[in-house]
Amino acid sequence: MTTPVVELRNVTKEFHGNPAVKGVTFELHAGEIHSLLGENGAGKSTLTKMVAGVHEPTGGEVRYLGKKVEFSSPQEALENGIAMVFQETSLIPSLTVAQNLELGNEKFLTRLRGLWISAQQFLQSLSFEVDPTALVSTLGAAQKQMVEIARAVRHNAKVIIFDEPTATLTPEEKYHFFKLVNRLKDEGVSIVFISHALEEALTISDRITILRDGEHVITDEVKAFDRDKIIGHMVGRSLSNELYGETKVQARQSRPAGKRMLSVQNLSMGSIVRNTSFSIFSGQVTGVFGLVGSGRTETFKIIAGVLKRDFFHGGEVRLSGRPVRYRVPRPAIRDGIVYVTEDRKVEGFFETKSIAQNIYSGLLGADLNQKSVISYSEMAELAKVWTDRLNVKTIDNDSKVIELSGGNQQKVVLAKALVQKPKLIILDEPTRGVDVGAIAEIHEVINELANAGLPVVMISSYLPEILALSDRVLVSRLGRVVEEFSIEEASEEKIMYAAVH
Amino acid sequence: MKLTGRLKNVSQEKIVFTITLVMFAVFALTLDGFIGTSNLLALLRSVAVLGILGLGMLIVVLGRGIDLSMVANMAISVAWTIQLVGTGMPLWAALAIGLGFALGMSLITGILVAFAEIPAIFATLAMGTFIYGFGRAHLITGTDVVYLPSNFGWASQIGQGRLLGIPIPIILAAILAAVVYLFLRFSKHGWNTYNIGDNTQASRITGIAVRPTIVLQYMLSGTAAYLAGLITATAVQSMNTRMVNSNMIYDVILIVVLGGVSLSGGRGSVRNVMVGTLLIGVLVNGMTIMDIQYTIQNVIKSLILLLAIVADSVINPRDEQTGQQGDI
Repeated sequence: MTTPVVELRNVTKEFHGNPAVKGVTFELHAGEIHSLLGENGAGKSTLTKMVAGVHEPTGGEVRYLGKKVEFSSPQEALENGIAMVFQETSLIPSLTVAQNLELGNEKFLTRLRGLWISAQQFLQSLSFEVDPTALVSTLGAAQKQMVEIARAVRHNAKVIIFDEPTATLTPEEKYHFFKLVNRLKDEGVSIVFISHALEEALTISDRITILRDGEHVITDEVKAFDRDKIIGHMVGRSLSNELYGETKVQARQSRPAGKRMLSVQNLSMGSIVRNTSFSIFSGQVTGVFGLVGSGRTETFKIIAGVLKRDFFHGGEVRLSGRPVRYRVPRPAIRDGIVYVTEDRKVEGFFETKSIAQNIYSGLLGADLNQKSVISYSEMAELAKVWTDRLNVKTIDNDSKVIELSGGNQQKVVLAKALVQKPKLIILDEPTRGVDVGAIAEIHEVINELANAGLPVVMISSYLPEILALSDRVLVSRLGRVVEEFSIEEASEEKIMYAAVH
Repeated sequence: MKLTGRLKNVSQEKIVFTITLVMFAVFALTLDGFIGTSNLLALLRSVAVLGILGLGMLIVVLGRGIDLSMVANMAISVAWTIQLVGTGMPLWAALAIGLGFALGMSLITGILVAFAEIPAIFATLAMGTFIYGFGRAHLITGTDVVYLPSNFGWASQIGQGRLLGIPIPIILAAILAAVVYLFLRFSKHGWNTYNIGDNTQASRITGIAVRPTIVLQYMLSGTAAYLAGLITATAVQSMNTRMVNSNMIYDVILIVVLGGVSLSGGRGSVRNVMVGTLLIGVLVNGMTIMDIQYTIQNVIKSLILLLAIVADSVINPRDEQTGQQGDI
């Protein structure tokens, strides 16, 4: 057995006395793709950041090429051949691709023409189709990822760590990405792949390591795993069937459509939403599937007043038969249309405020508070009711939302929307960045809402989720709803076919 | 380990408060007459105007804005009031017109920031220049300095009077502090001000009327400016419109920031402003008794500010989490 490229021996990392990683041993061999899986907060990012020099371990040792190393900065790790491609890209948007490739070793004087040419040659050699003179801010997510990777390759990285690289990519971009990763592997680069997408991990990896609560659970060849096993190891129990099991989908009966709550005719906004028309009925979950850029989020943001449709020929939205046009979300909320965002950190919760304050803010926003002044007792009661109902796990309701895990944050954002007594609720990617346990609970809430007769719209990019929850599926493509299925006739293949063709 | 654990809870507000107490103790021991009632009242009296402006600024800063037009608004609206009284207008009418002018100007500022979405720093900078220029060209005729006419009546007590031996400016500042505290803590608009400063996008989606609330914030700071102006003018029997060109607005920002109010919005309270105001009050009063030159005083003031900020960044280092969102 050859010495592993990277070896972590019994490493531990504590933040303010709270261990994020506890005594994990991990080996990465030359030329392998090693997936690191686990729920949110399982310690995947922290573990790899110790390899990449972002964090220093509080216990244990990191060995690289057989020698003990202590990198004090990502820069030092990079110089030694370990590159980490972060979730949020670390490129400078206002510089060009070529300048970003050069970042960190610029000369005192730079001749741009020479820079373009060498960058062009370099990108060609990787067969990346990115214009080296383009500003990074004009690139799509996949191209940015390519530039990041190119930067890592340029530094002759022997180890590249990808932290959730595919979260923002469209299927087509993913395909390119995986091809590239495989080529890097053929060149002898070792790759660590952190992901929430289990199918991707199963197709691409050689070996898989699963972490849970900062501890190592299992490492094995990819052949030894399947979806259920992985989830089982991740959560320590078998949740897969409960969540997305075949039997459950097969046995589902769609809820009958209630009255038509919302009808949309010819809605348009610029080139993102183009003459889309559809209806939403009460008492059922309408799943909306579409690839990134298909205008599904924008369509529903227009309905909720977050975005504005075109002034001329913008189309028509009718809420219970009455035409509505909102300039801001406030009147939409007063009419009962509540939108729960896909990006909770940017437009979901108030990070300096506590759980209770966040939920109460929702109540205030809808003008449903009992007293005209701020009532701290009303707030505490409300928070107690909703954190119990949604099972938000926290020590007390005065903890700041920013300190919670992704799943609990999402539950708070959901509670904040539900206290507004919605008549139509739009959930945009309700389980993005949420751990498996919380997904089940959120799904349960969604079903309860629909059973209670509410029209629920659920936008999701995850087909099993669409199939497990929806009664009716709308497929969006190029700014328009192009296909509608009842759950009985829908299948992953049919939906995907409609979304791409 | 234990020490750093305890230090973790030390906020900038506490650091500044400690510095204030230490300086107070040192001055009390070393300077003659510092601890006397009359000097302490003079100390508070000297920062009352600054504190009132700071309270107005606090509301705007909490909503992720900044109001650089406060001093211009205060100088011109009050100078106009005084001039109107001088030309024979009844006092109450002149006061109402002056307040109306201050509110009108801050309404325009608010609309520029909230509806036209001009960054607050540019909108208020331009409005400050506009108010001063417009006021000097069309409202205040003659000199830079408008003197208080003898028929200013009861209103001249605002700056000079005493109630139970306490100068009225101190009482007004205390009342305003209480009002702003109640506004921020118990009114919906105050609550929404924090939410908007914390996350404007989320506020919008939550159904908060973001734009009207922002306009309200500027109108409240305009009101505070007018009150501060009345105190200043009646205390020194005149309103010198040249104060617009002084560095007073920076002093206002100084006390707000010094107390630990975050310029990126959503963090801070009345207590922070009071702490910042007290520090400047004690410092300036002590230095004045020591007979330190005005220019040197400015140097010392700025060094204290830097010290407080450095202490804060050493004790509460920015980690990955907080580093994501930069100040301003």
